[in-house]
Amino acid sequence: MSDTSTYGLMAEFDSAKELVAAAHKTHEAGYQKIDAYSPFPIEGLAEAIGFHKNRVPLVVLIGGLIGGISAYALQYWVAVITYPVNIGGRPYHSWPSFIIVTFELTILFAGLSAAIGMLVLNGLPMPYHPVFNVPEFAKASDNKFFLVVFSSDPKYDATRTRSFLTGLAPRMVAEVPS
Amino acid sequence: MTTATMNKSDLMAPPVVQTMQQRSLIIGAIAAVASVAGAFLAPGSFYSAYLTGFMFWLGLSLGCMAILMLYHLVGGAWGTVIRRILESGMMTIPLMFVLFIPILLHLPKLYFWARPGLTDPKIVEIAHSYLNFNGILLRYILYFAIWIGMAYFLNRWSTEQDSIAGQSTLRFRALSSIGLVIYSLTISFAVIDWVMSLQARWISTIYGLLFIAGEALSAFCFAVVIEGILGKRKPMSQYLTDTEVHDHGKFMLAFVMVWAYFNFSQWLIIWAGNLPEEIPWYMRRLNGGWEAVGLFLVVFHFAVPFALLLSRQLKRKARTLVWLASWLIFMRIVDIFWHVEPASHPTFHVSWVHFTIIAGIGGLWMAYFFHNLRSRPLLPVNAPQTLRLLEPSHE
Repeated sequence: MSDTSTYGLMAEFDSAKELVAAAHKTHEAGYQKIDAYSPFPIEGLAEAIGFHKNRVPLVVLIGGLIGGISAYALQYWVAVITYPVNIGGRPYHSWPSFIIVTFELTILFAGLSAAIGMLVLNGLPMPYHPVFNVPEFAKASDNKFFLVVFSSDPKYDATRTRSFLTGLAPRMVAEVPS
Repeated sequence: MTTATMNKSDLMAPPVVQTMQQRSLIIGAIAAVASVAGAFLAPGSFYSAYLTGFMFWLGLSLGCMAILMLYHLVGGAWGTVIRRILESGMMTIPLMFVLFIPILLHLPKLYFWARPGLTDPKIVEIAHSYLNFNGILLRYILYFAIWIGMAYFLNRWSTEQDSIAGQSTLRFRALSSIGLVIYSLTISFAVIDWVMSLQARWISTIYGLLFIAGEALSAFCFAVVIEGILGKRKPMSQYLTDTEVHDHGKFMLAFVMVWAYFNFSQWLIIWAGNLPEEIPWYMRRLNGGWEAVGLFLVVFHFAVPFALLLSRQLKRKARTLVWLASWLIFMRIVDIFWHVEPASHPTFHVSWVHFTIIAGIGGLWMAYFFHNLRSRPLLPVNAPQTLRLLEPSHE
């Protein structure tokens, strides 16, 4: 049963260890659309909620390739096609001297792709997010740890999911209005 | 990790280390005998092969020392887990001190400046003032006195951390900060004496850095290989996680890139300058079959390892990373071979003594290394970094 007025159910925990354990159990119980929030990065948490891969590396690779190819192409176009200059008898296509710019632009484009790709794939900037409707959530940037099961999860059921989360012994379980 | 109960005996190296020590010693002894025979059977190949083997294994000892110093300065769990491996590797420097003697006693076999009948006035001047037997002897003693001295103190203080708790780590940092500067300078001068001077009238100001980058890469690859052996067994299996292996993989990637960067810098400047006193070094190494070795280095010391090391999965698993690390150790030897061998042989030349010498020095080196590793716990028991590493991480 999915409920459009509810974004999901939120459980609050006291420690990172409890959160990782709860996330593991929730994921094992078959919930797929879940997310976890903590004041600091926790090793193993991403794996616990079943998060395996993201597309940032692919974006970086493509960005790097575009940077490298365009840098080399530009130098080739300038030095060989449009404005060939004989420098000490060296060939116009002097690839060793093209390498440095090619390398630098590969790094520049890859770095920019990493930053921009991360923001875009995260959906940032995001001025509104339903989890902030729960007042206790303010402590997610302080000393509390949260697990949310989204109502869009196929296994989501307002009462059964609530009792499942309560069974994980959290400090509290709250409904997140969307 | 329930390691609060761990003590000294729990952290001792597993029995496999003793087995490896014995095997290394046997291989080393057999190969050393074969190499000595090689000195008489293949005298034309022996000395340059010996220099290749010596420079590689010395580089590994010094690389371990440099990485250890880096760790003392910047810290991090990546270094705590391999600290005793690096220290054991570093403490083989006295062996390398002894193994230089054959080179010292046969300088004319390797170095043109030690041979009689020099005519070029510039070279006569250099041979008179700097590159001669007394100069080499004096500087060889000086370099090794400095290296052994630094290694000795870093190692002794580390041993003290097994028994005395709550000591300050300031002295490690103090020695390491000045030590890294001293290491960079001494190794630069040493490779000028022993490798760069193989080529007449050729100078490269980046030459020492080529070796520094290569030695750091060798040391990381070596640490990863040892992790591959020990990581599955207690006690290392209890504290070595994928995160640290991942860090070692990142260091390997970084040093593969630094190695390529330095080599390319040297090549680009010499290629662009195209000056008669600079290009002979490359002319020698890019003709007569040596160009194939050079290309092999570009592809398999840089391009392929670089592409593979971009993969996160490959870097995180000791199982897969070990293969690449072993390969890169082999490529380190090829790199030094390409620096040394063309000076004696204008066309491609490799002989059976190359293999016996690398295995001979290597067997003795490894036996000494395993002996060092076995004599102490795999972590300095009372070092603050060890205590941080062993405390449970999710609380």
